[in-house]
Amino acid sequence: MLEALLQFRHRRFRRDLSAYVDDMLSERACRRLEAHLDSCQACRQELAELRVTVEALGSVPMAEVPRSFTLAAAPVAEVRPRPAARRLEFGLRLATATAAFALALVVVGDFTGLPGGGEQEEEEMPAMLAPAAAETPAAMEAAPVETPEPSVPDITETYREEPAVGADVSEEEDRGKETTEGAEVEEEAEADVAEAQAVAAEEGDGFSREEVVRWLEIGLGAGVGVLVVLWAFARLRRSIGNRA
Amino acid sequence: MTVADEEQLVRSSRKGDLDAFNTLVQVYQGQVYNLCLRMLGPAAAEDAAQEAFINAYRRLSSFRGGSFRAWLLRIAANICCDELRRRRRRPAGSLEAALEAGSPADVSSHVAGPEEEALRRELGRHLQQGLAALPAEQRLAIILRDIHGLSYEELTEALDCSLGTVKSRIARGRARMREYLMARRELLPRRFRLEE
Repeated sequence: MLEALLQFRHRRFRRDLSAYVDDMLSERACRRLEAHLDSCQACRQELAELRVTVEALGSVPMAEVPRSFTLAAAPVAEVRPRPAARRLEFGLRLATATAAFALALVVVGDFTGLPGGGEQEEEEMPAMLAPAAAETPAAMEAAPVETPEPSVPDITETYREEPAVGADVSEEEDRGKETTEGAEVEEEAEADVAEAQAVAAEEGDGFSREEVVRWLEIGLGAGVGVLVVLWAFARLRRSIGNRA
Repeated sequence: MTVADEEQLVRSSRKGDLDAFNTLVQVYQGQVYNLCLRMLGPAAAEDAAQEAFINAYRRLSSFRGGSFRAWLLRIAANICCDELRRRRRRPAGSLEAALEAGSPADVSSHVAGPEEEALRRELGRHLQQGLAALPAEQRLAIILRDIHGLSYEELTEALDCSLGTVKSRIARGRARMREYLMARRELLPRRFRLEE
């Protein structure tokens, strides 16, 4: 048992002899080996033979080169063949990421009620316009009542009160005035509708959902555009590097 | 050549300066050729060395700093290992014979006298035979460490393995070389003979 243990230690120390020759042993391992060498003649002999071997190898002269190996012309830069899949890797990743983002946008839009699908959009569009539409009839009704109508009865009444002064002329003037007044009423009504819509838009969430969708589309488009530009720039740099 | 000079030459080479690269070739061609010679023999060493420098120029962009010599020798070592694998697949002759024919000791020394020169040749031939008998990875480690004098740190770069693996390969290679030489100790020059 003791003999086997000693043999094991002896083999381990023999393995360390090469590193000991090169001074590559730790201080602790070095001390242990030197202690072993003091008591082991076989290891001392092996160490001496090892030193002779290393010295003999070191004494071998270097052969002179038969010719100069300098290059007459620059070799063509190595272009490592890349599989097509790897070449398209970035483009495919970009396309996949864009598709995934667009899909996620649609799904999120479905759940949060943003107009994403055609049917929903059709259903929601009236609802979106509803606040404005609900307010416009009132505005249209209110507008004629407030401004033009009081003047119209006045005019008709005055003309009715003066029948003796050329009834035909007064009737024509009356018709003409009615049309001009009517046009003014319509213009004012339209202005009111636009005003009502603007007010409705401002009084809502601060900005309409149409604007939200539009800005999302612009953001998505700009993001994809930036990614494409970055990709093209990276490819350009790589091709310049390969050429160099 | 200082480390700073070498770094400057590497930088210029990477920008396409062929003269700068050829300066590096002139500095290291001896080591690259000798590694190829001891790994493959004289017939293939020249082509392997030239291929190593061509590959090095092409792959300059992949050099990430550190020891340029270790990086260069690693390229040469890979070429040698590829060639050895090819030979194993298509054995055309004895590898030992090929290596012995190109023993570096065949190169005459201008300094030593005739007797010393003869002993050196003899030793070189034995060492080359012993090296040829080693597995390729141990041979590579021994050549780079004991003949080319690379540090252990450079060896980890040149052999592309951990420090522990480097130590293990060197220890095993040296142990086999020791056995090989001690079995022929009567052929060793007097200064390498141990007193019994």
